Amino acid sequence: MKMPSKIFAVSIAFTLAASAQDTLYMSVLSSHAYRIGAQDNPIVGLFGSADGGNSWHHEGWINYIRVFYTEAASDGTLWSACGNGVLRSTDAGASWKITTGWQITEALKVRADNSDPSVVYAATAYGIFKTTDHGATWKKKSRGLPGRFTADVIIDEQNHAHLFAATEEGVYVSRDAGGHWMLCGLKGKGIRMLLQEQNNPQTLWAGTEDDGLLKSENDGATWKPMNNGLSAKTVYALASNPSDSRLLFAGTHGGGVFRSRDGGEHWTQQNNGLTNLVVHALLVLPSHPQSVFAGTLNGGLFRSDDEGNSWKFVCQPEAQVWGLSVR
Amino acid sequence: MIYAVLLIFPAVNAMAGTFEERKAELLQEASNERGRNIFLVAAKIATHHDERYALTMLDSLINDQQIGGMFYSYQMIATYLYLQSGLPDSLKEKIRTAYRTRTMYRGDTENHWVAYYTGLYLAAQTWHDEDGSHWFNGKSSKENFDEAKDWLNEWMRITTTIGQGEFDSPTYFIVFITPMMALQQFALDNTMKKKAEMMADYLFADFAVENLNGNYCGAHSRDYPEDIVNPLRAPNVPWAWLYFGTPKNAPWLPTLGLPRQPVFRHPTSSNESLGYAWEVVFGALSSYRLPEIIFHVATDRSVPYVDKEQKRVRNIIRFGKEMNPQVYKYTYMTDQYALGSIQGGILQPIQQHTWDVTYVSDKPGNTLFTLNPFYSGKELAMFFPEEQKFLTDEVNRYHKVYTDPNKWNSSSPYEQTFQCKNAIIVLYNITPTAHHRQVDGFFSKNLDERITLANRWILCKAGKTYIAFFPLKQYEWIEEPNDWRWRSYDVKNGVVVEVGRESEYGSFEAFRKTFSAAAIDAKDFDKTLTVRYTTHMGDTMQFTYGGARILNGHTVDFSHYKLFDSPFLHSDIGSGVLTMTYKNMTRILDFNAVAIRNGMVTK
Repeated sequence: MKMPSKIFAVSIAFTLAASAQDTLYMSVLSSHAYRIGAQDNPIVGLFGSADGGNSWHHEGWINYIRVFYTEAASDGTLWSACGNGVLRSTDAGASWKITTGWQITEALKVRADNSDPSVVYAATAYGIFKTTDHGATWKKKSRGLPGRFTADVIIDEQNHAHLFAATEEGVYVSRDAGGHWMLCGLKGKGIRMLLQEQNNPQTLWAGTEDDGLLKSENDGATWKPMNNGLSAKTVYALASNPSDSRLLFAGTHGGGVFRSRDGGEHWTQQNNGLTNLVVHALLVLPSHPQSVFAGTLNGGLFRSDDEGNSWKFVCQPEAQVWGLSVR
Repeated sequence: MIYAVLLIFPAVNAMAGTFEERKAELLQEASNERGRNIFLVAAKIATHHDERYALTMLDSLINDQQIGGMFYSYQMIATYLYLQSGLPDSLKEKIRTAYRTRTMYRGDTENHWVAYYTGLYLAAQTWHDEDGSHWFNGKSSKENFDEAKDWLNEWMRITTTIGQGEFDSPTYFIVFITPMMALQQFALDNTMKKKAEMMADYLFADFAVENLNGNYCGAHSRDYPEDIVNPLRAPNVPWAWLYFGTPKNAPWLPTLGLPRQPVFRHPTSSNESLGYAWEVVFGALSSYRLPEIIFHVATDRSVPYVDKEQKRVRNIIRFGKEMNPQVYKYTYMTDQYALGSIQGGILQPIQQHTWDVTYVSDKPGNTLFTLNPFYSGKELAMFFPEEQKFLTDEVNRYHKVYTDPNKWNSSSPYEQTFQCKNAIIVLYNITPTAHHRQVDGFFSKNLDERITLANRWILCKAGKTYIAFFPLKQYEWIEEPNDWRWRSYDVKNGVVVEVGRESEYGSFEAFRKTFSAAAIDAKDFDKTLTVRYTTHMGDTMQFTYGGARILNGHTVDFSHYKLFDSPFLHSDIGSGVLTMTYKNMTRILDFNAVAIRNGMVTK
């Protein structure tokens, strides 16, 4: 499907100059004003920013197809996890193809293998699927998972055959690129998101439905709660500062954003200017790590340029910003 | 010895005139409407009435975003195909372009997917041999056609072997039947064409066996509150009128006095008097004709009967090991009323209607039922992939009443039923932490009489239907505009209901005398959660919440339920075969052989 690449632009002037090397992607699932098949709907879908988040442009398809998350692969391919399946664009969002058939629906996260961009994993409401041919074909890779629903999947940056999956019954690990899965830890806990620290890949974080944040410093072998000061225990997002891995931000349901400066030992609530406290996506701008973006559910996108001390609304009022990513 | 003589009979020859008259009346009525609605446009163009306006409106509808992607998918191609000779090339080209530029959401419900894939199938068939740059999803005509065909075949297979998920919905029936009619008319592949015809028969038969004067009786997977309390304003009714000839009056006439004011306004209709039911215009335009036997199944209520069905739960994506647990449906049909139920519990999120009595009446509100108004994010998260703590507010935005303590549709994990013919025991064991801890009952203000006996039975007269309602616990009455709300706050609760007819009792006074002496055995209910009751047909029912349903000393075994089991319809689980029987007529839908076999049974 061929689309005009710049359909709708929201420009916000910020004092900080951002590096052109950061391309940001914002997946807007819906808007508070939206109703399925019911009325004139605001523009939702994928938004991109090539200037460090100063201005955002609607990219790709128009119309609601329930986009949850978009990620750019190392070869520049864009992958979107959507209600309609997994979409792919090889021309920077100008045209898209739904690469999946009816068997794959309600894809929640999509992760491309940085070492081999033809390999992509999709975490969906019906399990994990994998393509090894750039989306030409997909195979289900759920053997050993405890149920269907998988909120997230991440690829171990040290060993790309190692995967971790966020399920409703704990963190699961695969040591054979999705061939088999086994319980890694946090049995019985609903896992909402997973994060591997960039600078310390032995360290994994899990955000949970009711148990706050848990951390493993041994590749998932053992986990410990890291909830000191984290008064909201439903964690949808976690972002670390690439230049200081002890500086962390957590996005929670109802509690807004929490910040830790000591690697998660202590958390403080940082919501000055954040008018919506359901934070589903967080992103630290790699080229300018004082800048943090927070995607909220029904409140749109917010930005802080002082490490979370204060927030300003950016764009998409009433929007559900489900995913933020950067390449 | 019974043997079958196979023969082919033309569909509904006997009452074709009647159908044709109603069809003409419907198209004329629709063509006079001026709502912003693709079905009204189709009626105008088909009847050559107000065509100029219709073409302008169609041009506008093609381009606007008011119709959800999945509905747009089949409605636009069906419009194109039904009206092809009446459409100028410019509009045809605009419709074609829409399938290239308009990204269509597939949706997340069964009816969404039927609409989406039917549309995709017909569109890909129409504009075949085109590459992905010509399609909104980047797939070629062949890829789209194959995917649509594959899913439609899978849906038909599942439905005819383990049951429909969005079963018996007075609202969503129309979103299943309309695409099947378009598919049976326009599919070029003979196999798909035949299967679509068979699915249309299947859906109509499923409706027909629980049709009473146009009311879609029994429990529903999904229904809107306004339709639950006023069944003759539901979207299925124009279809019943057109195909079954019931109710007698056309559905747009203000005979029921309560124009439907939908909470959820369907995008494809703006006509308040008919709700969002103008989809029936596509039925009138279709070449599909209802087989005579289904007409009889829908209209012959000379002998009461039990209809048992097995359906399936909508896909459970989390908090459950089984994706599609079974739904056990039981409906008792008479000429005056139907009493129907499913076993209770969460079988569908948001819009479940677990049990009711629906009776023949020319007044609105012709139903009686109870429920526990339940909501939870976890319930929603069983079926939707969004975050469970977010979903409640999100669903409330769509359905308005989801968290409302006064809502009239709800599944509840604290509600269970046991029905035997004209009697039902409904028990509640509501957790003290539930948001809403009451049981509510709907009693229409249009009941002819409502009296309370000294022994606690509440008796109602509704025309020739008599309803006896026994509350296990204390209650209060709350007056509302169109009903009296029966409300009971005890969390361990229940009701016993038995329904009768004037023809059985002779008079309401005789009914009163009978129930003056009727007893319920519910001693120690709070400890045992057990009720024992012997009906006036002589059946002894014993039901323990969370325990056995015992009928005349034997435990009821749901595992014996078939897909359809009634004097009219029979289908075994896994069979893919539905056998319809009416007197000496049979019609067999064999989805394995993709064949319809009509026959006459003689002795």
